[in-house]
Amino acid sequence: MVGWQGVAAAIVLFGIGTLGLILRRDLVVKLLALGLVNSSVILALVSLRARPNLVPPLLDGPTPQALADPLPQGLVLSAIVINFAVLAVALVFVMRLVERYHTTDSTRLERRTHDEEES
Amino acid sequence: MTWRRAMPWAAVAVVAAFCGLVLSQFGLGQERASDAELWMRAAASLGARNVVSAIILGVRLLDTLVEVIVFTVAVLGVRYFLKIQEESTKAGEEIPESPLVAASSAILLPGILMLGAYVTVCGHLSPGGGFSGGAIAASALLLAAASLGAERVSARFAESRFERVEWGALAILLLVTLAPALLGRAVTTDLLPAGVRGNLASGGTILPYNVLISVKVFLGSWVIVHHFLRHRGEI
Repeated sequence: MVGWQGVAAAIVLFGIGTLGLILRRDLVVKLLALGLVNSSVILALVSLRARPNLVPPLLDGPTPQALADPLPQGLVLSAIVINFAVLAVALVFVMRLVERYHTTDSTRLERRTHDEEES
Repeated sequence: MTWRRAMPWAAVAVVAAFCGLVLSQFGLGQERASDAELWMRAAASLGARNVVSAIILGVRLLDTLVEVIVFTVAVLGVRYFLKIQEESTKAGEEIPESPLVAASSAILLPGILMLGAYVTVCGHLSPGGGFSGGAIAASALLLAAASLGAERVSARFAESRFERVEWGALAILLLVTLAPALLGRAVTTDLLPAGVRGNLASGGTILPYNVLISVKVFLGSWVIVHHFLRHRGEI
């Protein structure tokens, strides 16, 4: 998969992830959708400079023209690490909410927090 | 269709329009001159063979350092919030694991740990580095926790014993990064010699950075995995 095909796939995955984030009510599924959105961004960043017949960016190899652009590869590392951190902390918050309200459904959570505030 | 129902689709349309706008600005499909040569020169001056690691731990060193700090904050968050919760919940019951998983994990464990160490140490020579090496080694502990039980692994690999190592690695990482500034030179100055490219002892400070980041990621990931397992009970 190269260039625009990768970007097209990334846009589709981004759309599916965004839809999941908005439409699904389960918090764990929302987090999965968030992971999908993040992966689609990584795919888009890497495939923006992807071309056929490129080799990994190692020195002592062929000419610079044959090397893959190393910059997006360096950039996506941040995306991966931050996504890992965000997902870990978000899962902890979901666990705390489940512990207290015994549901992962966002609508029920909203209702129960509202009831709790009134009482 | 009511407004409430149309809202998600409107949001998707806005996002799609935004993506299209960004991509049209990128000029997708038009060839730009590659920056690879520029990065290759930067990597050559650092003595690293892997250009990506030369970018991450050379040109973008401060970015990477902040990334490690973000990771540390996440680990702290998991540790803090699950510690409160653990006091209020009892540990889950233990589910015995099949002997096949236990036997195969005993064979795989040393190999995975070795691979993690290799990927870390050779991060400046071949694809890899501290983040991936640390994550591979942490996956070995996850496998051990799955086959032997989290509590048995944590008894041998006590979190409290390695807390100092974890924080020490972060402190040394910060010190090594700020050392040039403390000595009155530019922050990105490499204090170690570049060495002969292709040798293990080359690439200046990239190798020590990779080892420190690997230790940090390995212990941090284990803390996250262990806290999740302990709250949930055994796998």
